[in-house]
Amino acid sequence: MPANDTTLGDARRQRLLGAMEAAGIDEIVVYGNAWQADYLRYVADFGILEGHGIAVISADGATELFLDSATDAERAEVEAPSVTVRRAGDIARAVGARLDRVANHRLAAAPRRFLPKWLADAERSFTIEDGTALLDKLLMHKLPAEIDAIRCAARIADDAYGEFVKAVAPGRRQYEIVADLEAYLRRRGCPDNFMIIGSGGKDVFGMTPPSERRIAAGDLVTTELTPAVEGYYVQICRTLVAGKATPAQAGAFAIYREALEAGIAAVKPGATAADVARAENDVFRRYGLGDYVTSKYTRVRGHGIGLFCDSKPHILEDVDTELSPGMALIVHPNTYHPEVGYLVLGDAVVVTQTGVEVLCRTPRQLFEVPA
Amino acid sequence: MRRGLIARSRAELPDAVFDGRLERLRAAMAGLDALLVYTNNTRPAGVSWLVGFIPYWSEAMLVLPRTGPPVLVVALTFRVKPWIERTSRVAEVVFNPRIGIETARLIAAKKADAAVGVVDFDHLSAGIADDLREAGPRLVFSDASELFAALRASADPAEITLTARASSIAASALSRIDPREPGIGAIVAAVEGEARRLGAEEVYVAAAPDLARDRRLMRFESGPADEPALGARLAVRASVAYKGSWVRRVVTIERDTMASRAEKAAAAFAEAVARLPDDRALSQFASFMVEGCRLSQPLEALMGSGVAEPRAPAAGAVVSVQACIEADGGPFLFGAPALLGARGETASTFV
Repeated sequence: MPANDTTLGDARRQRLLGAMEAAGIDEIVVYGNAWQADYLRYVADFGILEGHGIAVISADGATELFLDSATDAERAEVEAPSVTVRRAGDIARAVGARLDRVANHRLAAAPRRFLPKWLADAERSFTIEDGTALLDKLLMHKLPAEIDAIRCAARIADDAYGEFVKAVAPGRRQYEIVADLEAYLRRRGCPDNFMIIGSGGKDVFGMTPPSERRIAAGDLVTTELTPAVEGYYVQICRTLVAGKATPAQAGAFAIYREALEAGIAAVKPGATAADVARAENDVFRRYGLGDYVTSKYTRVRGHGIGLFCDSKPHILEDVDTELSPGMALIVHPNTYHPEVGYLVLGDAVVVTQTGVEVLCRTPRQLFEVPA
Repeated sequence: MRRGLIARSRAELPDAVFDGRLERLRAAMAGLDALLVYTNNTRPAGVSWLVGFIPYWSEAMLVLPRTGPPVLVVALTFRVKPWIERTSRVAEVVFNPRIGIETARLIAAKKADAAVGVVDFDHLSAGIADDLREAGPRLVFSDASELFAALRASADPAEITLTARASSIAASALSRIDPREPGIGAIVAAVEGEARRLGAEEVYVAAAPDLARDRRLMRFESGPADEPALGARLAVRASVAYKGSWVRRVVTIERDTMASRAEKAAAAFAEAVARLPDDRALSQFASFMVEGCRLSQPLEALMGSGVAEPRAPAAGAVVSVQACIEADGGPFLFGAPALLGARGETASTFV
């Protein structure tokens, strides 16, 4: 089937048009590439893979999708039938010619900072305001159907972690393990996944794309699996040991589990991203590990999920974004532990009217595989 | 986001390869004090060609002064410094989420009114361009796309070797297609899994599950229960990257007969590719496309039935060619990478 669900895509489009009308915007210009694909997916229901993509949405809902990749333009014709696809080698000038026709309209762009420079230059006949905040709000606060897609992705993520455990064995290289996982996800009809991995001991300070490193007995093997359903990503973070966990590994893991549980308990309407981060970090501080929740050892303590696998809000102690029903997050107290190395543990959650719904069902345990 | 193998092999890409490319670029930088090449995971080909760096995530700017070593300004966090150093040849890495600000500061600190060439300047993110101007108000920026494209056009031996490897991975992956599979998901999984197990940095698989119904290649986003039915003839495309070199291969699979009716069409395709950059033979087909790397997009449409402003690839360039051929009850889809000959020589398909 084509990669879109017209019901969900139409619902998003209607919501966008309502927001445009409320803001007095006549046309919105939305940029995307395979790294920052969420804004474009929201408005055009197309999962871009190659090159630049820019959608122009009029107040009546008509959507033109400009793509500079010929292969993506062909895909879009099939996968996004509700939009008009235009292939252009120089996408900036093609969109510019389109906007010249409406230069007297009120135009906004999201995310404006990613637009090709030529389009945003002052010499153009049109002026494009920054409409990023308008789209950010729609992306962050999700419709029930969007949450349903995230729930579906969570089922696949749980199953995929089971496959990951089966794929890890001493002697296997990291990229061979990831290859097995990707093949599994394609069989499940899941076209996209963000995945990083780490293996080793105290020499490992984080996760990266897979390397040629072989799994060795005693390794901690960490992964962050992020499969997508209908463009919606969900994430699960787990750690396993190749062999029997040492008392030090098991003891360290218990702190991460306590931190995850504290973070999830802090998720509720009215709480802030900072509250969640503080709940996680306080656990580490209680165990004398306060240094390891700083940016030297960890990036974020969780983040939003949705059409981007690392969306707003970032769960950090200085982010005061208020949580509200319809927001989806991953809570993950991932960081380095000085006695055993890098450990990860994280569950995806949805903020509900009364608190939190945990989407991941994989046990919060330090898994073990035969070594 | 990349999740295939990103690793540097000094056997395949010795320091001398990168040093030679940087020296050629410096020699062409007449009138410029510095050259900037932007990278993210969809436009990585300029920077990976120069220093091997391939961002799996986020973005970076390579600053190449006319004299002195290149500096990589990355928006990734400092924690990935060891990974960057393992996978690329960069002497200095600077970390700042505002890569435009940091880049301009670096250049302006040495010469406030430096002349700075930017590859694909018009398509640089507006936010980065604003930051460059903010932190380097006296810097003089210009587009350096043609300068870069002229140097990048012909493949050197290292690029040809990597392209051959990418082509081999794609061919091996496509050979895993079992026409007896009941659905397209299993076929896509077999191709993608094999490509990644063979060390692909990235693979995109697209398919036309029933060529009699629709010849357009697409990605699938549904589980086995909702998959489209496979026709008697289907086509699958594997777009594969290996250490920064990208190729596309397309095969047509006939499910209802052991004796392929595609052989004649395949021969016609190979004959037409051999004549490149003369595209008159390819133009006889129902459609065709020739893609190659000019700047930072790995595979950019250069010539083809849907390309309004064609750019003929240079002698010695590596390209990927796709065609749709109507023959013997077709259509048949084919695709393969090729190396263009020197002037007067035929092109050669990677097998």
